[in-house]
Amino acid sequence: MSQKTKLILVFMFFCGIGIYAQESYLLKGTVASAVENIPLPGVNVVISNSSSGASTDFDGNYQIQVKKGDVLSFSYLGFVTKSVTISNQKTVNVVLVEDANSLEEIVVVGYGSRKKSDITGAVSSVTADELNAFPVLNAAQALQGRAAGVVVQSNNGGEPGAPISIKIRGNTSIRASSAPLIVVDGFVGASMPQANDIKSLEILKDASATAIYGSRGSNGVVMVTTKKGKSGKLVVELNTTFAVQNTANKLDLLNADEFADYQNQIRVNQGIASAYVQGSANTDWQDLIYTAGNTTNHQISFSGGTEKVNFYASANYFEQDGILVNSGFERMTFLSNLDAQVTDKLKLGMNLFGSRGTKNGVATQSNGSVTVGGDDVISIAMRFAPDVDITDANGAFTTNTIGDPVDNPYAVATERKDETKTDNFRANFYGSYDILENLTFKSTLGFSTKNQTRGIYQPSTLIITSSAEGGKASMGNYRTTNVLNENYLTYKKEIGKGTLTLLGGASYQKNVAEYFSAAGNGFISDSFSYYALDKATTLLQPASYLQEYEIQSVFGRVNYDFNDKYLITATVRRDGASNFAANHKYATFPSAALGWKVSNEEFLKDNEAITNLKLRASYGVTGNPSIAPYESLARLSSLYASSNGQTVNAISTDQAANPNLKWESSYQANFGVDLGLYNGKATISLDYYNIDTKDLILSNAGIPEYFGNINTGSLANLGEINNSGFEISLNTRNISNDNFSWNTDFNLSANKNKVVALVNDADVFNNGAPSYFSVDRSNILRVGEEVGLFWGYEYAGVYQGGALPAGTATIAGGVAGDPLFSDLDASGDIGADDRTIIGNPNADYTFGITNNFSYKNFDLSIFFQGSQGGEIFNMTNVQLNNGDANTTRDYFNSAWTPTNTDTNSPRVGNNSNREISSRFVEDGSYVRLKNIAVGYNFPNEVIKKLGLDNVRLSVSAQNLLTFTNYSGLDPEVNYAGAAGDNNTSSNTVQGFDFGNYPTVKSVNFSLNIKF
Amino acid sequence: MKTTYKYLFLLLMSLSIVGCSDLVEEPEGLLAPDGFFNTPKDIQTAVDGALTHAINEKFWGRKLSIALMLRSDMVNLNSTETRRMEHNSLTTLTNNGMISEFWLKTYQGIAAANLAIDGASYVDVAENLKNPVTAQAYFMRAFYYFHLVRQFGAVPYIDAPLTDAVAAGSISRTPVDEVYANIISDLEYAKTWLPNTQSSRAIPAKSAASSYLALVHLTMGEYQKAFDEAKDVINKKVTYNVGLDANFQNLFNAEVIDSSIEPIFALDYNNFEAPNNGYDQIAPMVGIRGDQRGSGGGWSVGSPTLAVYTSWDAGDYRRAVSLDDRANIADASKVVHTVDYTQFDVSGHKFAQNTPYIAKYMRYPGAFARGSARATSHNYSMMRYAEVLLIASEAAVEIGDNGSALMYLNEVRARARMGGATKTGADEEYTFAASTIPADHTGTVTVNDVLEERRLELAFECKRWYDIARRKIGATVFSASGFEGAKSDFSADDYLMPLPADEIERNPNLTQNPGY
Repeated sequence: MSQKTKLILVFMFFCGIGIYAQESYLLKGTVASAVENIPLPGVNVVISNSSSGASTDFDGNYQIQVKKGDVLSFSYLGFVTKSVTISNQKTVNVVLVEDANSLEEIVVVGYGSRKKSDITGAVSSVTADELNAFPVLNAAQALQGRAAGVVVQSNNGGEPGAPISIKIRGNTSIRASSAPLIVVDGFVGASMPQANDIKSLEILKDASATAIYGSRGSNGVVMVTTKKGKSGKLVVELNTTFAVQNTANKLDLLNADEFADYQNQIRVNQGIASAYVQGSANTDWQDLIYTAGNTTNHQISFSGGTEKVNFYASANYFEQDGILVNSGFERMTFLSNLDAQVTDKLKLGMNLFGSRGTKNGVATQSNGSVTVGGDDVISIAMRFAPDVDITDANGAFTTNTIGDPVDNPYAVATERKDETKTDNFRANFYGSYDILENLTFKSTLGFSTKNQTRGIYQPSTLIITSSAEGGKASMGNYRTTNVLNENYLTYKKEIGKGTLTLLGGASYQKNVAEYFSAAGNGFISDSFSYYALDKATTLLQPASYLQEYEIQSVFGRVNYDFNDKYLITATVRRDGASNFAANHKYATFPSAALGWKVSNEEFLKDNEAITNLKLRASYGVTGNPSIAPYESLARLSSLYASSNGQTVNAISTDQAANPNLKWESSYQANFGVDLGLYNGKATISLDYYNIDTKDLILSNAGIPEYFGNINTGSLANLGEINNSGFEISLNTRNISNDNFSWNTDFNLSANKNKVVALVNDADVFNNGAPSYFSVDRSNILRVGEEVGLFWGYEYAGVYQGGALPAGTATIAGGVAGDPLFSDLDASGDIGADDRTIIGNPNADYTFGITNNFSYKNFDLSIFFQGSQGGEIFNMTNVQLNNGDANTTRDYFNSAWTPTNTDTNSPRVGNNSNREISSRFVEDGSYVRLKNIAVGYNFPNEVIKKLGLDNVRLSVSAQNLLTFTNYSGLDPEVNYAGAAGDNNTSSNTVQGFDFGNYPTVKSVNFSLNIKF
Repeated sequence: MKTTYKYLFLLLMSLSIVGCSDLVEEPEGLLAPDGFFNTPKDIQTAVDGALTHAINEKFWGRKLSIALMLRSDMVNLNSTETRRMEHNSLTTLTNNGMISEFWLKTYQGIAAANLAIDGASYVDVAENLKNPVTAQAYFMRAFYYFHLVRQFGAVPYIDAPLTDAVAAGSISRTPVDEVYANIISDLEYAKTWLPNTQSSRAIPAKSAASSYLALVHLTMGEYQKAFDEAKDVINKKVTYNVGLDANFQNLFNAEVIDSSIEPIFALDYNNFEAPNNGYDQIAPMVGIRGDQRGSGGGWSVGSPTLAVYTSWDAGDYRRAVSLDDRANIADASKVVHTVDYTQFDVSGHKFAQNTPYIAKYMRYPGAFARGSARATSHNYSMMRYAEVLLIASEAAVEIGDNGSALMYLNEVRARARMGGATKTGADEEYTFAASTIPADHTGTVTVNDVLEERRLELAFECKRWYDIARRKIGATVFSASGFEGAKSDFSADDYLMPLPADEIERNPNLTQNPGY
């Protein structure tokens, strides 16, 4: 047994000794608050220097055995603790005064918490009210527009259950994810709890705040704290919300008659003699696939506790029927937090979280993997011929009659089954022990698992997709488990005029991911769905894999506050990770920050205008865990060979070992000012940051192909990008009196990013177009430019015939009415070498503004959110202007004809072929009324009679108004691209609009009851 | 009370003991080279990797084979796709999309061969057990480099698995004669250790190594060595179980080719369809649009000009086997017409040509073939006995042995006049009668006589471009009197293709070929 352990055991020994002496008697009394004299339940009444105590009941009454000379201490969260010395009183009534200091916000940081005024880093807080302003499936959605420097976007518009991407301070990587680390109640890498269970949410942005998370800190950290019970009265809370939803927008397309005109004009322009034979139907495909959606959300929670044990437990049911027929999401979530003060020194606690989500997906955002885009009802609904009925004379679903053969969107939406069931479970047990008065040891052991099963069945009724195969079924299961153990010591000591806080600890985490999938084609009956893979006539190849990684770390932090004026923070974390390459298994991530509370200096102390002024500066290094497990190892690739008429397994070199591969490092400097005016009437925070991200891992890293690797994109740390920007948060209390208050929250952030280095500084191209567009590149990474610029032809208007305008050309064979492009290589026609940068998807700035009004029992909240300067590449119009089937009325009416030559739209049936050109680049700026909510709190007199504490009714609406010049469905686009994985948000393929699930307009009715 | 605390405390302490790792990755379900090679079977697995790269679409399945056809004077292009036009018109650019694909694929094959050869050093068994397996890898390495050196001249010569990316990333091109010396050395090793015969012609045997040595020497102009090596194969035809197949049609019949003795080394697509385009697409590339064979018809990308057909003796059985002059073709309304080549455009397709089409691959693709005759079960002969005879004949001309030249040339011509069972492109089965054409050559054999014989015997087997390049006869065959008319962009620089531009970007120490 170590010396330390012995010491602790000695301490424990003393803890067990009680003192039994002198005569005691029963003392009674009540405790109330100074304001309004309201009785306080659950106040701790403790005899100092003893283990005996009591707590007040619901009416503020207490009784306790005391003896003369005892000192009674009355403590209650948020109030100044009061001590009373017992002479011989029989009754002691106490009035507690609210503690002005304790009202000050406490901010959760890594492995601890700080008073907001003592924070030296860049940290944004989002309140529970903001998170619950309107119902959201994923709490991450509620962050949009709420915190400066945080950009939140759904990966697929309003799709129920679509992943939400969060980016803090721009794209910090090219290849690795820019998603922040999420820490829930100390559990690193947890899934987000549902919004109603969240007490507070902090966003750690600069290196000073995130370096304590070392190799996982460079994308920022979202610290989530869930609700806990308070000792005293048991509180039961009911929340119920019902919402109706509709698509925010539809495209204005041609009807059947106009469509026939359009097709006939195309035929004339293409020299086809025969006329178009119009179908008999007039179908609005968009109408067929969109429906009114609705969301219901019920939550019940109860919380409370005694002086020793606190608990909070909640159950939540969320159901959403999407605005696309057959799409929906259903989820049950359970959460419970239990904390026990076992002794004065020992505290134990447990957090439990479980959820089951079921997503019914409808195919959107085609990546072209199914015949020419047949896997995307949104884009097919736009292009499908409107003169065709849902079914033909034989009752079979129709297919497109012009252009690429695809199944009709109604058939795909209703017949295709795509169900994802996700189970999440997390348990985190902790114990903390006060070894010395100033020294606390805390240990946590946690486990989380995510189990996801996705089944897809494409029945034989889908003519193009799966009728030939007789139905296609697949099923896959993905499971991750995470074990986390953390142990750390916190030491706090007043030294002279200063306070020193030390933190030191160690952490171990292991993550295991397993995957299995199987698939088959050809079933006797479509009713088998994907639950009879063994009955397939063609068994497709199953797949499985295992990926494990471990991270072990030590970390430490020093905070020193001198005289409540000067603040110093220094952190360091050393991470060792199994997925790091052999020569770089360990990495150290330091940071330091300084704060100066100028307002506490003599010359400002009594200034009435400036009541708070703090200057902050920080610098540090953080990492991005950009190396996947096994990625740096030498690998062989398995492939098939033919030998003697048999298919046999063969191997080839996949990649050589890459022992020098390193994580990506961000070097971040942050300068901030916090200003408070007129005692909190206005608070302003300004931050400027500069982030140099170095050692970016890039693939296709210039390894010559004569190496003969199967994986030609060997990885190397060769890239560098820079992000810099500023953030403003402004909060003003405009009016505040007894009946009426008005306050405003405003935040704005501007980020500028720049590619600093690439492999040999050569351009890197990516493709964000669906694969059936046969486009090889649509965006570029170029040194000196921002990440992910659009790459294509420069549109130069419509060719009017005769001599070509200087510097322009048409695609070979162009005639009057065909598009003109800049002939950059001066070759006389348009080819690959005429492409250039044609647009920038990165916004100049994003902002959010909330105005909260309250009048008596009514309150009103209006929240606008917007983005300025980012461009969108309208891939939808590329398809719709291509002539194969339907188009927009706007294009048809504006297209060039010999009599309508003054136009920017080429003739219908022109000689373009889905090129990426600046013709389709549009301004994506928008301002959106994200939420407007009216609430009413029932008066106390009324509800007390019903035995209730609080009843609140609110009506809110989301996305009611959008101001934008963008012509597509919605300016919040996030098409994943041909190679895209809808679950990750690419840093390089951005700003493309194609087949996104539309953003929804929603009206919600919420009722909240507390008793 | 005390004990409770003690237990709780011990619990806390025990929590902090969880986990202490050396952080070394030990992946399961992933193939790592370390420890993989233990038995000769493991070497064979890597050899199979080297073999299978060759049948991929990026190599013989389409990209390389079609490029070689288009560059020659025997196959014209009916497509506007730039990368193909560049080969057909010999205006190849350094970013040609076909070259960049078979460049990579070839080197992947070499890397797999190097992996096998390196892996063999870890296999602790007797030489006579493992060397015959390893010898296949030596053969395949030579096979790939022989393609490379004929396409590009000097190339980076890699003969071991590369581990140091920095050092190997800046090497220069290895001179042509050094590459050839290495090819010969590999083939000599293969000839020493490979068995006389293998269970399949798709697995190299001694005959394959020896025949390729003959062709390499012929290409280098070492005619005596070429003659001696070819003669060695001919002398050992019984030992090697090789010879001419009596029916020329059998060589292009996927159902019977496996039992033919003529192929010496073949790429065997037997019922094979692997991911990443690991299957044959030559047949659809050269097939007729609207053709009723192989549901969907061909894509009509490459077809011979009419001159190839009209200049070929109608009595030559090989013409009947090599070209389809009749077919069943569906028009736009899906009405099927049985037509002669003068009406092949009845399909209405813009690229349909009224000329005979290549028949070698469309007639008997095997039952496994998919739509448009993709994924045939053909054995594409990289080397067959007839070519060995023609190598011997050509070398004999050069060393002044007219008797041998005549004998071997006429052996090939004799088989060509034997006729046999076949069918037309319209699936009409018939027997082509034996004929006197092509009759025995008499008198003095010239190099040109042998090249002409190779052009017909090996028509559309992707040999012609290499013959044009090694004999430098471009000025003649690409003149106005050539089969495809004048290819006015031809220059002597075109005998070598350009190295891929992006490869030179990756390693600037690689120089580009002249003229690019």
